[in-house]
Amino acid sequence: MTAAIKRYGVGILAIAVTFVVFVVPLLFMALIAVKDRREANRLEFSWPTNFSFVENFQEVLSARKFMLVTAFINSTILTVVSVAILVILAAMVAWVLQRRRSRWNPLINFLILAGLIIPPAVIPTIWVLQGLGLFKTLTGLIFIEVAFGISFCILLFRAFISSIPKELDEAAVIDGCGPIRLFFRVVFPLLKSVIVTVIVVQSVSIFNTFQNPLYFLPGDANATVQLTLFNFQSQFTTAYNLLFMNILLITIPPLVMYLFFNRQIVAGMTAGAVKG
Amino acid sequence: MIFTPKRRWPAIAGSVTAAALVLTGCSAGGGGNSDAKTITWLVDNTENTITYAEKLAEDFNAANPDIRVEIETRPQGGDGDNIVKTRLATGDMADVFSYNTGSLFQQINPEQNLVPLTGEPYMDNVSDSFKPVVAAGDDVYGVPVGTGSAGAVLYNKKVFEELGLSVPKTWEEFMENSRKIKDSGTAAIIQSYQTTWTSQLFVLGDFANVAAANPTFAEDYTANKVKYATDPAAIKGFEHLEEAYKAGLFNEDFASTTYPQALEKLANGDGAQYPILSFALPELKVSYPDQLNDIGLFPLPGDDPAKNPLTIWLPGGVYLPKSTENVEEAKKFLAFIASTEGCDSQTEAVGANGPYLVEGCDLPDDVPTAVKDMLPFFDDETRNSPALEFLSPVKGPALEQITVEVGSGIRSAKDGAALYDADVTKQAKQLNLPGWN
Repeated sequence: MTAAIKRYGVGILAIAVTFVVFVVPLLFMALIAVKDRREANRLEFSWPTNFSFVENFQEVLSARKFMLVTAFINSTILTVVSVAILVILAAMVAWVLQRRRSRWNPLINFLILAGLIIPPAVIPTIWVLQGLGLFKTLTGLIFIEVAFGISFCILLFRAFISSIPKELDEAAVIDGCGPIRLFFRVVFPLLKSVIVTVIVVQSVSIFNTFQNPLYFLPGDANATVQLTLFNFQSQFTTAYNLLFMNILLITIPPLVMYLFFNRQIVAGMTAGAVKG
Repeated sequence: MIFTPKRRWPAIAGSVTAAALVLTGCSAGGGGNSDAKTITWLVDNTENTITYAEKLAEDFNAANPDIRVEIETRPQGGDGDNIVKTRLATGDMADVFSYNTGSLFQQINPEQNLVPLTGEPYMDNVSDSFKPVVAAGDDVYGVPVGTGSAGAVLYNKKVFEELGLSVPKTWEEFMENSRKIKDSGTAAIIQSYQTTWTSQLFVLGDFANVAAANPTFAEDYTANKVKYATDPAAIKGFEHLEEAYKAGLFNEDFASTTYPQALEKLANGDGAQYPILSFALPELKVSYPDQLNDIGLFPLPGDDPAKNPLTIWLPGGVYLPKSTENVEEAKKFLAFIASTEGCDSQTEAVGANGPYLVEGCDLPDDVPTAVKDMLPFFDDETRNSPALEFLSPVKGPALEQITVEVGSGIRSAKDGAALYDADVTKQAKQLNLPGWN
């Protein structure tokens, strides 16, 4: 009896908790998103009496001259490019830091930690961007996202690389492998699990970033998906049905990504957790 | 992306980066007609604002084919304030921008950041009651956009008719009415403390009564000579809130009601009276178009039936930052906003939610009942007063929490007013106002 409770009870409990924590909010969101405005404003967890999925969808999509479409393109570029740069750059930095000891190491380590500790300030950052001619460009925002994420990624990669035996590098060098080839052909593929971790963690945070595009990339043509939420929410009037429809739409890409890469993500996370 | 063939990894990563960089390059550029000049206009993201802003831009372009106006949006509240301040500080402001008038306008350092509009011919069209709230030093800096509003009681006329009630002119009449409504089973006064800012209206909307009793209150208040807790007229707002709570006149679920839910109660007649800003009218119009004309408006009543003044909120201003390179075009646009064509274009887009502050702008006959109720007060200067936040830079950030406490019976009116005075002191010291240190 106790064994059975242990076997099923824990499982059922876990499912119940998951349901309450994840499924109920998602359901709530979907329900509000298909209601009409008057009903949605009540914010009740109830079955909609008046389905207006198509109207809401069209209105959200076409609001502010199809801003959501622009925003999806911008956000995709931002996320993909930033994460790609982060992965390659952070892995390279971490590898060099881990393998080549020099007297600069403490300073570099300090700078990396400083990136985690010191909070970024908005106005000086804008001055730097203006000086470089990158303000109000997507490239500028990509650099900002890379700068904000790189410390964390380097730490992750470093911890993982320390578990790769140095003999592997040496063997490759003896076989006549140059440094670039050594990195891309030998080291980089070994980092697969931690790369997945970095990709997942950073894509989610970059896709969801709100303050950075708000301040560093002003202008409607530059909107990212999170900023489109502001189209439907304000202090005196809020169209909850459209707001939730918008949230639903921008939740879909990460959800789809998770469905497809589910297995790799879990494997990557646990690998990172044990070794990193 | 597939993870199995290990060798492809670098290739995939590289090509993705390259492709994305190419795309970035494309999106950074922008098409544009070389003849037409484009100016940008930063507005807040309210549905109402965007709708009239787009209409204004379109009509202006029709009148001036060589200038296009592009709308940019920003959030409201604290984030919006930060954006405006950041963009002014970095010299990156749009060519013209909308922002609050009154105390918030003073905080963006107008003398340093904005182009004065004092001598411009179109300033003659702007109502004299608007100019003081966009003035700093000797200059005025903005033209009004949008309509004036009121902090008042919105009430359901049907409920009043059924019970044979008339619009109250004094607080006693208001309480008497409310008790009758309560006895009939309808919530007499709607409060929505889930949306905390709505709790402040008993205090903020009562200011016209304070000003009627003590015409120099705003000045003395800025100079730290009067206090909410000790001024017999000023503390009335807090006391009325406490009295209404103690008499049990609020809707039962007042603590968890949200602003949209409160509007629903009002529109459906589940509640009779809702002290709120008339900014609620556009929302009522969209969500409850059929009931809009059941809603009337009266000022928060004070003691003197002869005065019974309305507390008004002035509209936002449109300003010209010093950083703009298109001064001539921008000024033409400001002139358009401050003209009768400008008001007509706004009325066409969103209807009139209150009176305009541009001379010669008439309202159409089909304005909502609540707006009609507002008009006599706007026409007669002795029957209205701008809210305190337009007359004094002193406004504490914690008022909404304090009024929630007083309205929920957690704190007494006297304590609440004293606490608000303490809250305000911090703010005044930060602004370095004379008389506070």
